[in-house]
Amino acid sequence: MDAIRADDLIGLFQSWRDMFAAQREFLIALDGKVGDSDLGITMSKSFAAAYDTVAAEGAAAGLTKLLRSAGAIMAKTAPSTMGTLTATGFLRGAKALEGKDVIGTAEMAAFWRAYATGIAERGKAKLGDKTILDVLDPVAGVLEAQAASGAALAPAMKAAAVAADAALEATKTMVAQHGKAAAFQEKTVGLQDAGATVGVLLVTTMSEFVAG
Amino acid sequence: MKKFLNDPANFVDEMLEGIYRAHSQVTYVNDDKRCLVVAKPKAGKVGIATGGGSGHLPLFLGYVGDNMLDGCAVGGVFQSPSADQMHEVTKYIDQGAGVLYIYGNYTGDIINFDMAAELADIDGITVKQVIGNDDIASSVVGEEHKRRGVAGIFFVYKAAGAAAANGLSLDEVTRLADKARANVRTIGVALSSCVVPEIGHATFSVGEDEMEIGMGIHGEPGIGRTKLAPADDVVDQMMARVFAELPAGEGDEFAVLVNGLGGTPKEELYILFRRVSQLFEAKGSKVKYVWIGEFATAMEMAGASISVLKLDAELDPLIAAAVNTPFFAHYKA
Repeated sequence: MDAIRADDLIGLFQSWRDMFAAQREFLIALDGKVGDSDLGITMSKSFAAAYDTVAAEGAAAGLTKLLRSAGAIMAKTAPSTMGTLTATGFLRGAKALEGKDVIGTAEMAAFWRAYATGIAERGKAKLGDKTILDVLDPVAGVLEAQAASGAALAPAMKAAAVAADAALEATKTMVAQHGKAAAFQEKTVGLQDAGATVGVLLVTTMSEFVAG
Repeated sequence: MKKFLNDPANFVDEMLEGIYRAHSQVTYVNDDKRCLVVAKPKAGKVGIATGGGSGHLPLFLGYVGDNMLDGCAVGGVFQSPSADQMHEVTKYIDQGAGVLYIYGNYTGDIINFDMAAELADIDGITVKQVIGNDDIASSVVGEEHKRRGVAGIFFVYKAAGAAAANGLSLDEVTRLADKARANVRTIGVALSSCVVPEIGHATFSVGEDEMEIGMGIHGEPGIGRTKLAPADDVVDQMMARVFAELPAGEGDEFAVLVNGLGGTPKEELYILFRRVSQLFEAKGSKVKYVWIGEFATAMEMAGASISVLKLDAELDPLIAAAVNTPFFAHYKA
């Protein structure tokens, strides 16, 4: 796939929904180590609602409208911190793509940059705080470099997914600064961050989707 | 725990049912009791919304009414309401002139109000925000953005409500609300803890002979735990911190709110105000408006807070303006 159009986007949300349904128990267990165990529930519920919404609206609604509707329904469905942050990402990503009908490499870079910036602002997080931002910021960076060198979407997303994995590994050395995990401080060292794991799952599934 | 309850899980919703049965001035939208709004919004007026956790009555919902606020998203005890609830309130109270959010500086409230503003933006509703941060005990000078919002938000509500009732634009209402915010300081003192119904026991403990100056309205730590002192000494300690930030000079005018935290009799609040008034008098300043009673509580916590607003020609008439809400009525001074 060289670009994502509105009808592809509906398929992508279906892949995200299926993946979060499959990862539900894994995320519950991971979050339960230092959080309140609701992450798996939040993500599976929000993406199920998002898929239902974009499928109902249909491709005719257009790319940015679908992304916006997905963000808005996520905010309603899962008013937890991570649900709100994920929703914000989609709303900001939609804004960054205003007027576009297709997502190629350059648009993908703009989407994830806006996604990461939105999450940083809303969650008042900075790099190194052991959050999803520590995955999404390098992802946006890699995509910007790929776009600058004229790479096609599928290899660019592949590179982004590799960067996401490496970035997740790096969160193990960080000390949590946000959410309930912040209370555990040094005990969070060695653990991979649950929110950052969600970031990797989002990017990896997207990479597999454009490759297939 | 000794409380009037049915099922503790229904604490907030049953409280709200009582509110709606008692006060026809307010109603709710989206079939959700926690989305409280004025029954008759005024056409063309800037809408003003607030929101926050329950357990602080009259804060926050008690000030929704004529010439004050138009809507309030109501959370569980000491918990933020959701962005969706705030968004529903926003949609209802927007009369085409935009909406101002006024709420306290707490992480959960900020994240949800920000999200609600983003959802409102998609609907084409302009939203501005003023975040109350009047509690001087919660962070030092220079770090005011980290301070919590407590009872002083009452003055921000009053200024904004009067400005909006005067038909001013969203930008002007926001500017005046922010001016009130910047000129109000609050300091509290706690004598005992509070009990969250679903938890069922005291959140913390304060010894029989102790007090804690600066404790937050959810029991957040204050400046220090000391032996309980005579009332005048307690006020002197508290007001020294207020005067350090809001200098009171000859001829300056102020509005003062002496607020009970839930478990302290009004008599004691008047004993505190007596001393507050003497201190202003000694500086040659005038306390032009005074309110004494319960305005922002922390369940049954014993204790009080003192909020001081420095007046100027612009804020004065806004604070003087008449309002009529379920929990607060005021005739024009």
